[in-house]
This record gives sequence, structure tokens and C-alpha cells, in this order.
Amino acid sequence: MFEKRRISASKCNLVSSSDFNSCIDSHDYGCQPQGNVYLSGVPSCKQLGLVLPDGLLQDILSFCDGVTLAKLVQTCREFYVIGHQPELWRDLVLIDSQDHALVNVGDCWKDTYILQQKLQCEHRSHKPMKIPGFFSDHFYQTHLCRSFVIPNEWLTVENGTVDRIEGISIQEFLENYEIPNQPVVLAGACKNWKAMNWKYKEYLLQALQMEKKRSLRATSGAASFASYFTVESYLDYCQSNQLEEAPLYLFDREALLDGPLREDYFPHLQRDCPYFDPSRTKENTHDLLQLLGENRRPDHSWLIIGPQRSGSSFHIDPNATHAWNATIVGRKRWLFYPPGQTPPGIHPSSDGDDVIMPISVGEWLTKYWDAHVERCQTLPLTEQPIECTVQAGDIVFVPHGWWHSVLNLDAPYNIAITHNYVSKSNLSNVLRFFESKQSQISGCRDRPGVALQPEEIGAEFQKGLRQHYPTWLQQAQQTGKWTCKAWEDKKTEKASNQKNIKKWESGRKKKRSRKENNGSSVLAKSKQQE
Amino acid sequence: MAAEVQTVNNISLVSKEGDSFEVSEDVAQMSELVKSLMEDNDTEEETAEIPLRNVKATVLQKVIEFCQHHGEEPMTEIEKPLRSQKMADVVQEWYANYVDVEQVVLFELILAANYMDIKPLLDLACATVASMIKDKTPEEIRTRFNITNDFSLEEEAKVREENKWCEEA
Repeated sequence: MFEKRRISASKCNLVSSSDFNSCIDSHDYGCQPQGNVYLSGVPSCKQLGLVLPDGLLQDILSFCDGVTLAKLVQTCREFYVIGHQPELWRDLVLIDSQDHALVNVGDCWKDTYILQQKLQCEHRSHKPMKIPGFFSDHFYQTHLCRSFVIPNEWLTVENGTVDRIEGISIQEFLENYEIPNQPVVLAGACKNWKAMNWKYKEYLLQALQMEKKRSLRATSGAASFASYFTVESYLDYCQSNQLEEAPLYLFDREALLDGPLREDYFPHLQRDCPYFDPSRTKENTHDLLQLLGENRRPDHSWLIIGPQRSGSSFHIDPNATHAWNATIVGRKRWLFYPPGQTPPGIHPSSDGDDVIMPISVGEWLTKYWDAHVERCQTLPLTEQPIECTVQAGDIVFVPHGWWHSVLNLDAPYNIAITHNYVSKSNLSNVLRFFESKQSQISGCRDRPGVALQPEEIGAEFQKGLRQHYPTWLQQAQQTGKWTCKAWEDKKTEKASNQKNIKKWESGRKKKRSRKENNGSSVLAKSKQQE
Repeated sequence: MAAEVQTVNNISLVSKEGDSFEVSEDVAQMSELVKSLMEDNDTEEETAEIPLRNVKATVLQKVIEFCQHHGEEPMTEIEKPLRSQKMADVVQEWYANYVDVEQVVLFELILAANYMDIKPLLDLACATVASMIKDKTPEEIRTRFNITNDFSLEEEAKVREENKWCEEA
């Protein structure tokens, strides 16, 4: 029986930022924070680091190939540490594997790089040495962001402020959540799906490799290049459990369109969650973008796999769509900020085209948690951020316009499926988005000739609606304005915020463009990181 | 009909020592720092003055030289990792010659480009240092950058052993 429950966030066990600002492990190479140099009694091993800051030394090394790095790490202690930063080796691997899937994965990126070289000589795995006297805030910060403690008391399913409901009818869902645009966790909604078999690696391998040996794409907010894996090599990567800031996150937009994976959940979805069912029936029509045709519509469904500590930084889902996300394996922690409430550390431009933000969930948690707690305790109830943990078998409804960030909690990997859709409740905003935010439309540019392009989508969508749902189209068009604060025209708080950020904030921030780059917008990519 | 007069706005960049260098707005805006300070400076003055207290006059002059040339011949993006230790193989001739300078100047350019937030210049200068490391033995690298080998004997042996693969690669 449905029972609505909205708990004030101040009652949620929020933990403190000091919990996130401790590491599960000391730095592999012995790096300590800069300040420790005054207390440790060990002299600093900095040499070139006395002249150039660590961040710039890393920039220089980012131009070096693997052989050069391998020679450099033999020069002195300072370069032993800097030259072994995993991001350097990761980027070298990714550059080399842009046109084919990575098949052999080592315990660390350096090992993976060496495996790629296919050398004759025998090579043993890299064993990090701890170096005395390496003090650096820059490198210690990265270490913190990849190995921050995830406090257990924060993670329980009971510790959350998003409604958690078991068993709900179509009417209840629409009236209490979709129409009012509120997130909800549908507890256990997919626990009986055949898709739960995906937790068995063999099952997943078989289902995904039955078709052509497609390579699967994984991305990360911290990597400049996408990566390509086979299913097997990606699961190996997850299993290697190497600590990384923003691990590569796989999601595939084709796996669920047809074939065995779709059959493992689709009929069950229709039965258990008819409010998400995209089949068009007269009364209960969801997923109106189906009118465009399966291939012509923007990307809308993804199989998502990620290792522990992978996740997506705060973003709003693309094209003003709603989404549902079903957890098949592992737990996730979700953080939500209501439409119009920009989370701390996130700075969208006035037109929304660009967003300046931390490069990883880890960085956000270690830096902005206190600001987050303050919002929880001071904002009015309806504007407060909310959060929850979901476990295998749960489904989350993500209403359009809500900022959200997700952290994968379990090892070796976490699997979910997600669909984005348009229904009557967000139709007017979607139409407005297609018309006025064309630069932000995503999920189609890298399929020219197949997918409708941004300049075509609005008109085609309206054509389909005119034919099948003329009343809904008319009602949506009559609204005359945004009905969600996420896109309401803001007055000029704009550029002054942007430049202040540049002046005062840490240089670790990454500027992300919501406009599409190389065919797939970063917002869409962020979507991909759930 | 009155002829349209194009007003070219000039910006005055002021070095650490107080020397003023006048450049066009376009050139100045190659620096994200200058760009954001200009937005701050929203005055009607013909020539805005932007203080750059961290940049010496000689370095600022060199930075401006880069920005001015970039306006006429944009620098090609430098591919990672470097394919060659010769900068002329990875970037246009003018730029390769531009960075053919003493190490101390190169480092100053890196610091200035970082401070002023001029990405192409930062990339060029960083890539140049990387090119000075490329294709050298560890001992040659140490000599080039005046680095002391501060490994213990045990550490040094371990690192060498572990990286033997690079002799074959």
C-alpha cells in the first residue's frame, strides 16, 4: 500500500567532510601533503619541483611517450613518483587504442601499456616503491580523490531522504511523482526480472558477445579520450580494482535496443512498471519520442557498468527527459538537487551551454560536502537536496530538470540499465528545449544520416504528435513558458559568477561544454556515467 | 551617409616592473586571465590597463609576440605523445624557432602561460621541455636538467630492473 514519506534532510545521517577527507590507503609512492615537510624530519626530494609547480610538471610529462617516461622514472626520486602517476599511463593506453578494443588489461595502467607493446622480453608487474621525502598537495589531492573513505553509516538503504516505496500503481506513480516531478525509489521493482542474471559474468558475456564482437565504449571525466573494451576486458578492468579518480565508466547505447539483453527485462518492465512501459497504448503512453522511430530518435537507453568509485558528477539529463534507472548489480548512492538549485561547486554559464565543475565525484565529496550539508540544513524543505542508496532490484525515477550525481559503491562492478523518455508531464518543456536549446540537444550528432539532427528533431516530433496526440500537443504548446526551474530564464547573475570562479577556485576544475563535441555532448556523457 | 569608423580597442598590459605594452583587444583576449579581468574593468576608457604583477617585462614581451603571431598563423595542435624530439616536426616553423631559447626562459614562459591562462602557449612550452627529455638515457636527462641522482642503491637497482622493457620497445 502506498504511503508517502518525506523526511527532512536534517534528520538524515549526513556524516561530516572529515570522513571523506581521509584515505583508505597511504599513497602508493609515499606522497604526503606539502605541510608534512615541516613535521616529518625527512628532507624533501623536490628538484625541478622547486622551479615548476607539480601540476605543470605533470603537464610536461603528458607529452611524453612510454619509453621516455620509463627512462625518466630512473633519473631521481621526484620523477619516479611523478612519472608513475597512473593518469599518464592511462592516457598513453587510450591514445593507442582509439580504433580497436583493449583486450589485455594489467593490474595497473603502466602494466596495461607494456602489455600493449607486445614485447618479447618477459616483464613483471609494476611494484610501487614508497619514496621518502615526496611532499605535494597537488599529487596528494589526486590520491585523496581516488581513495577517499566511503563511510558505511552514510550508505545504508535506510539512510535517505528520497521516498522509498514498494508496490505502486500507475495512478499513484503519476499523481505523486511523475507529474509533480519528484524522484522516487521503487524498492524491489526489478528484483524478479530475468536481467538479474546479468550478475553472473558468464551470462553477461554470452549475451553481449552473441552478436558481432562489438567494442564497448567507456569514458571518464578525468580522461581526455574515450576507451574501448570488449566485455571481458572491461570486467577484468573492474576486477583489477585499481584506485583511480573517476574510473572509466562503460555504457553502451546499443546493447538494449534489441537482442537477448532487451528480452531479459522488457516484458518484465511492462508487467511490473507499466508507468515506464514504452509500448503505446491508448491511455498509458510513455516514451513519446518513439514517434520519431527507434533509429531516428536520440540515444535513449543504456547498459551501464562501472567499478567501485566510478560515478557521474552532477548533471541534468539530456533533452529535458525523464529517466528511470534499474540497478541490476551493486549499490549506488544518489544525490539530487531540485531544479533551479545548482549544487555547490557546479557553475553553469548563463545560457547553460557550459558547466565548470570538479572532474570527479571524489573531488566533489572531498571539497564540497560541508557546503552540501549546509544546504541540507538551511534551505526550505522543498528546495533541499535529497539522497538515497539503491540496491540491486531497485529502480530510481529521475524527474526531468533535477541535478543528480551517482557513486557506485561495490566491487568488482555495478550494473544498471536506464531509459530516458518523454511523457505528457514533461512534453511542453521538451518541445521548448528542442526549439530554444538546439546547441544542447544530444545523442544524435554522431549518427548523421541515421538519427535526426538537432535542427530537425523539434519539427519532426511535432509532426508525430499532431498525428497521434493532437490534444496533448496543443496543451503543451499553450503552456507558453518553461514549467521547470531548470530552464527558467535567469536574470543576469551570469558572467560575474563565471569570472569569479576563474579567479578564486582551484585549477582542478574542468570546464565541460554541454554542446556536443565529436558527436556526443558531455552532458550526454555525464548521463552515461550513472 | 557617414562612413563607419572601426574603433580598434587597445589594451595596455602592465608588467611586474610597471612597463606598459599596448596590444589589440583580440590579442589580449588570448589570455583567459586578461579576458576575465577586462570584463571586470567595464569602463568606458579607450585603453584599459591590465596589471600582470607576476610577469616580468622581458617575458611579457615574449608572450605578446606569441599571441600576435597566433592571430595570424594559429598554432597546430600538438599531438600527444610527441612523435619526435624536434619541435619543427610537431609544430610550425615559426613556433619551433620561437621556443628555441634558454631553459630559464622556457620555464618562465611556462609559468607566465599558466598564470595568464594561454593554453596554446602552455602546450607549446611544455611540449618543448618534453622534447628535451625524449630519446635520452636517464643519465643524459639528469645532465640536461641538472638533476641529482638521489636514489639509494637498492632503489636504483629496482627501478632499472623493472624498466628493462624500455630498452626493447
